[in-house]
Amino acid sequence: MTQNGLNPSVLIVDDEDMVITSLKAFLQLETDYDVHGFTDPEVAARFADSNRVDVAVSDYLMPKMNGIQLLARLKEAQPEASRVLLTGHSDKQSAIQAINQVSLFQYLEKPWDNSQLLLVIQSGVERANLFRELRQKVEELDSAHSSLKNVQKRLLQAFL
Amino acid sequence: MTSPTAELHQLAAIGRLLTGIVHEINTPLGSIFSNNDVILRSLEMLPGLLDNPTPESLAKARRVVETCHNLAAVDKIACERIRSIIRGLKSFSRTDGSELRKVDLNQQLLDTLKLTQAEFRKRITVETGLADLPEVECYPQMLNQVFLNLLVNAGQAIVGDGKIAVRTRLEEGCVHISIADNGRGMTREQKARAFDEGFTTKPLGEGTGLGLSISREIIEKQHGGSIDFESEPGLGTTFHIRIPVRQGASHCDSERA
Repeated sequence: MTQNGLNPSVLIVDDEDMVITSLKAFLQLETDYDVHGFTDPEVAARFADSNRVDVAVSDYLMPKMNGIQLLARLKEAQPEASRVLLTGHSDKQSAIQAINQVSLFQYLEKPWDNSQLLLVIQSGVERANLFRELRQKVEELDSAHSSLKNVQKRLLQAFL
Repeated sequence: MTSPTAELHQLAAIGRLLTGIVHEINTPLGSIFSNNDVILRSLEMLPGLLDNPTPESLAKARRVVETCHNLAAVDKIACERIRSIIRGLKSFSRTDGSELRKVDLNQQLLDTLKLTQAEFRKRITVETGLADLPEVECYPQMLNQVFLNLLVNAGQAIVGDGKIAVRTRLEEGCVHISIADNGRGMTREQKARAFDEGFTTKPLGEGTGLGLSISREIIEKQHGGSIDFESEPGLGTTFHIRIPVRQGASHCDSERA
């Protein structure tokens, strides 16, 4: 689970304090994840601008910024993070909008099931790690490719 | 008894609030389910931590017990939240309120506010200034319907963020209730027709055009009270309701400036 010796980082955003308390207690009991809870979506967005996030779990209906707006902003700052919407508002329209706009990883409804939520978060962490590894490999390939090109160029210059 | 139309209108008003009410119940319910699960998991974990105690396992056991304490406290808050919403709904049920009763109108207002809370919470600040009131002899279910009508209207008049102020005051044998919003207000034409049956400015499906005419019927005919309003386009609307503390004892006249 651990990458580069860092614990996976989970962001939880809900304007209800009690939801954050419950989710934090659960994740701290079952995992070694660093759990960051925020009741204010703007503060959560600022946190994600400068801190690594593996999985973000957000409520939908919140003051100032709704869950989709928050996850959309998170997508820019943390493209590898897995985005999960956890809503008490069973509104199909918002679900479809979320899936299309912010390429949602999972859509969950309240009341939620802890075992299911844990599976979603665990696979979200794994997915984020795989994406990061993939990006790293692509960067390595890119630099290998450009150094090969350099070698080829020098070879050509040497022989022609 | 209110008329069948009034009853239908009331059902429609509550129906429109239902999505919000469901959301408002699902959130604490989600917490309760989760906390229950965490407490059970903790209870399963504790014997293992205590059977072969090491300083680390004891420290962990203490943390687990402390967490369970915190979660039990959260559960209590969550249950109280659900109970207050149910109380708001109950005050609209037909079984408890078609007869004359003495009630605390402040409590009735707070219960009704609970139902609109989910719709309002994200964008509207509700201010309450409730004076000490004697118990008022009234048909509580009908009055709740009036309060709900006026609160829903106030919320719909506010585009985006805004404020609603609910105040009560005792005035010579009458209770004065005011519900003020800083929404879009009414034009002169709208003001003239506000109490007309079937008159509405709301889009189809959001209003029946009956809310205010039913409210007036309830306040004036059923309770011998008065209902009137002040409104300025762009500044908002304030409704004033006056209800006699004892039925038959006196009439409450509006106090137009």
